[in-house]
Amino acid sequence: MSTFTYMMRLIGYRKSWYIANAVLWTIIYLMPIFPGLLTKAFFDSLVPDQPAEFGVGLIVMLLIAAALARSVFIWFGFITDVQFRFRIGMLIRRNLLEHVLKEPGAKAIPCSPGEGISYFRDDVDQTEEAVSWSVDVFGMTCFAAVSCYILIGIDAGMTLLVFLPLVLVVIAAQLATARLQKYREASREATSKVTGAISEMFGNVQAIQVAGAEGRVVDRFRGLGENRRRTMLKDKLMTEMLDSIFSNTVNIGTGLILLLAGQKMRGGEFTVGDFALFVYYLTFVTQFISNFGKFLTYFKQMGVALRRLTFMLQGAPTSVLTAHRALGLERKGAVIDHAVSPGGESSSSVVGSGLGGSAGVSSFEQLELLEATGLTYRYPETGRGIEDIMLRLPRGSFTVVTGPIGSGKTTLARVLLGLLPKDGGIVQWNGRMVKGELGDFFIPPRSAYTAQVPRLYSDSLRENILLGQPDDEVKLDRALRTAVMEDDLAKFPDGLETTIGPRGVKLSGGQAQRTAAARMLVRESELFVFDDLSSALDVETEEKLWDRLFGERGDATCLVISHRKAALARADHIIVLQDGKIEAEGTAEALLESSDSFRKLWHGDLEQSETQ
Amino acid sequence: MSRMNKTTKSGGIKVYAELLGQYLFPHRGSLIALTLLLFGLIGLQLASPQVIRYFIDTAGSDEPLEKLMYAALLFIGFSIMQQIIAIISTYVGENLAWKTTNKLRGDLAEHCLRLDMDFHKSNTSGSLIERVDGDVNALANFFSSFIIHLGGNLLLMIGIIVLLFLENVWIGAGMLLFVVFAVFIVQHIRKYAAPVWRDWRSINAEYYGFTGEHLEGTEDTRANGASGYVMGRFYGLIRRMLPLRQKAFLGFASMWITTIIVFALGNVMAFVISAYLWKTGAITIGTVYLIFFYTELLAKPIEKIRTQIEDLQKADASMHRIRELMAMESGIKDGPGVKLADGPVAVSFNGMSFSYGESPTIKGLNLDLKPGEVLGLLGRTGSGKTTIARLLLRFYDPQQGAIRLNGTDIRDMKLSELRSTVAIVTQNIEIIQGTVRDNLTFYDPSITDEAICAVLEELGLGDWLRSLKDGLDTTLDSGGGSMSAGEGQLLAFARVFLQNPGLVILDEASSRLDPLTEQRLEKAVDRLLQGRTCIIIAHRLSTIQRAGRIAIMDGGVLAESGDREKLAGDPSSRFSRMLAIGLEEVTA
Repeated sequence: MSTFTYMMRLIGYRKSWYIANAVLWTIIYLMPIFPGLLTKAFFDSLVPDQPAEFGVGLIVMLLIAAALARSVFIWFGFITDVQFRFRIGMLIRRNLLEHVLKEPGAKAIPCSPGEGISYFRDDVDQTEEAVSWSVDVFGMTCFAAVSCYILIGIDAGMTLLVFLPLVLVVIAAQLATARLQKYREASREATSKVTGAISEMFGNVQAIQVAGAEGRVVDRFRGLGENRRRTMLKDKLMTEMLDSIFSNTVNIGTGLILLLAGQKMRGGEFTVGDFALFVYYLTFVTQFISNFGKFLTYFKQMGVALRRLTFMLQGAPTSVLTAHRALGLERKGAVIDHAVSPGGESSSSVVGSGLGGSAGVSSFEQLELLEATGLTYRYPETGRGIEDIMLRLPRGSFTVVTGPIGSGKTTLARVLLGLLPKDGGIVQWNGRMVKGELGDFFIPPRSAYTAQVPRLYSDSLRENILLGQPDDEVKLDRALRTAVMEDDLAKFPDGLETTIGPRGVKLSGGQAQRTAAARMLVRESELFVFDDLSSALDVETEEKLWDRLFGERGDATCLVISHRKAALARADHIIVLQDGKIEAEGTAEALLESSDSFRKLWHGDLEQSETQ
Repeated sequence: MSRMNKTTKSGGIKVYAELLGQYLFPHRGSLIALTLLLFGLIGLQLASPQVIRYFIDTAGSDEPLEKLMYAALLFIGFSIMQQIIAIISTYVGENLAWKTTNKLRGDLAEHCLRLDMDFHKSNTSGSLIERVDGDVNALANFFSSFIIHLGGNLLLMIGIIVLLFLENVWIGAGMLLFVVFAVFIVQHIRKYAAPVWRDWRSINAEYYGFTGEHLEGTEDTRANGASGYVMGRFYGLIRRMLPLRQKAFLGFASMWITTIIVFALGNVMAFVISAYLWKTGAITIGTVYLIFFYTELLAKPIEKIRTQIEDLQKADASMHRIRELMAMESGIKDGPGVKLADGPVAVSFNGMSFSYGESPTIKGLNLDLKPGEVLGLLGRTGSGKTTIARLLLRFYDPQQGAIRLNGTDIRDMKLSELRSTVAIVTQNIEIIQGTVRDNLTFYDPSITDEAICAVLEELGLGDWLRSLKDGLDTTLDSGGGSMSAGEGQLLAFARVFLQNPGLVILDEASSRLDPLTEQRLEKAVDRLLQGRTCIIIAHRLSTIQRAGRIAIMDGGVLAESGDREKLAGDPSSRFSRMLAIGLEEVTA
């Protein structure tokens, strides 16, 4: 998508606000025409022995009236401007966020979250600024046209000679912006390194403090800042150079008028009033040119922003950014509707594309058998991953994936659920192939997931578990009980309403994991996938958790990644991974007989406990 | 525990002076250059209108036309010089601004990094980006333009008024009155506009905090079909943002409107006075134009001062928040510093009590560890085990009692000394975006690559290291990315191996490791613990087999402690009951 189409699509999003804004700002820019004419009238009245056309009193009153009228328009102009630009800015952010949430979850953005924020902040701001300035350019062009018309009426030759250099300036500036764009890109890059570093620093603050590395980490941060200064300086200097060329044109223009006007003034064909008017309009026309240049710069910057945002989309078409969607700022009901139908949009489309049916969420097919064949994924950075994995999960089965660290257990779960884009293999639900994105298919009520390191958001505990699910006390209570949360709950100051997450009460590792488990269980899905659910739990709690899970899961199918005996002992089927491949599989008993590495895994734990 | 010193709002100017003094003064060379450039610029701006007056009056007389041409050329020459000086001063000013604010950013980051966990619990890294970078950016603009524009324009204003006084006392007095009035009004309006701007920035910070959290949590959101929830929160947030943004914008609008009206009034006054003086024959028409030109020229400084004040508003709000941040004191104070001898340390808890909030987490803990002893610390989730580790590293201080290492209260040690003596491996994996080397050394150049490789080999990460494209220079994603959680935990072990601590705390450190890897790790850990005191915090029994002593916490109280063998042999002990459960787990 070209930068221009990008802009037009954004304008098209809220056309009426844009038009209202354009009309108001055109009026605001046109209004200085009057004070110019009044100034001319004033100087022309200062002619000896001639009765003035307008009295000084009248001129003065009109001047004040013009200023007041302009002020009123400016007030409303600011309202339309903020209303319009807020909407388009938030539309892009909305679409970007929605897109990120649709990407394979473990690989949703092509950069660190800290850098991601700079895309959401700076690149969208850049875009907003450019689109908003297009209005000003139109208004100022109108002013230039009208003032030219008036000036040509006074002295056509002089008008031409004064305005011609201005046109040249615009062309020169055009040529220079190509270079500016390069500088701009470099300085943005340096900036996102700096914000990324801040995010890294404070995201890992405990590790840094423990290592006593505060000073060294900050030194590195200062180094990034220094690099940013250098790139910024080039960027700013170039911008200022263009700016000052634009704005100095008024002085050069005035000089030109002086050069040309000498003889005519002496002859009386060119009055002091005319001179005043020329210089007055020149100021505004120059401002127009300088702003036009500014707009060109903003426009180019928007091009940079567009490219960066496209990178953020990881291959999706750019039109995703500008898709016209409601923001719910006008009608109060719209947003709430959206909030209570979590994933409604995407799940219905998946049933459509995935299983060939046309019905909505409610008519999904019960899981009878989930199969995966030849599942393969390699991390581009290291080339490691999983290879040619076969998986068969019949209804109600309890399958455990185990293996040494780095053997690909988590990767397997992620690829199966579409949290990483598979490089090969097929997944079949009840014997029919799942087409389209696995990530769109494997969501509640088909499946739910507890990540190895679950993330909690700054919201109430209740919302963190429900994440938009309808608030059903019975279901919620059951999920909390199964996840062994009741004791913790009693300790929280406001129970379920306690704010947790980064801005709230910080939970212990075990609490966070059990909250995530409740989050998964409340979704009453066909398939539950747990990644290392019990790693942060004490023996008693873990024992309780497995007991309750086993008792309450009903027909649900479970895929569990664990090397805990409590899980292994309950498994119908165990898969032992080694270097991304299935090394052995079967029941615990069979594996104890047949698989050497399983024996080691099993006995490793056993021996340690027996020595107690 | 972070305490915020109350800063008085009225001390605005003092705050600026303090900041300017601290950050600008070291660059006084640049400052002087900037000032000189500024004087040149102002001189040229003041001289130009005089040339025009001469031109108009000469055009109305019988003097030769060449004089008009010379005047016009002189005017153009002045303009070009003005431009050159403007560009140079931009360079000097920007450079100055970035140097000073980079220093401020660094200082701020360092300050925040050293704050205690209470602070970091309540501030997301996303919102800290807004504060360390966003707020300082607002200041950057202020730093650079404060000098060039505010100072320069004030001078220009004064120059114009002096020149007008020289023309005619009346016009000078009139304009002085006008300027005083204009500045007063503009300042007055500012008072209304500043708080709305502050509100806007703070909700903005909240918004980016939200964005950051959800960029980190995509996996959980995606696989649990919670996109709708995230979008719902997004809509709720932006609905609160729009009115605040509109208010902030109207704050701007009111500033602009004020200057427009004030300037119309200024023009009107200039017209009335000069028309009168012209009619009485006191001034020429060239002078009338000069007065008009100077009045217009006055618009520039006052306009600039207006935009400066807009920046000032932003800067004011930001400065306020920066000051707040700087005034935050860590509840954890650096001690005077006591050097402990190398080698294993003795640890003792003397009547130590601690609570995060109202209900105590640890009650009257008394426990002694001899140098080189290995303690197994058991207890259920929430029994206070991890809190003990946090207290040992002084992430928090106990409210009562003390912790002593070799008899020294850890509050008397410097934090850096303490944290090089006490090392910890936790179940949380903290991987920063950077190379493998950076992750292990945290940019400490004194650790050699050989040492790193040897440690990785020892931990069984040798194969992993060799599988990396660029070896130690391979970049790891933040949060671990393509590493497995177990490998991440081994890296955390490696960090400790590279230190030389006297006390090692393993807080559920092997919870993410499979038994196979754990076994492989055993030997390495044996070597790590040689000649070191160690506390192993564990949920499960298997992890504490190397412990010579056992302590069991229950609800913040030390429920049992003693020699492991003895406890295991005593059927009435909690420990032996726990062993029974543990064995059940095995035989199930």
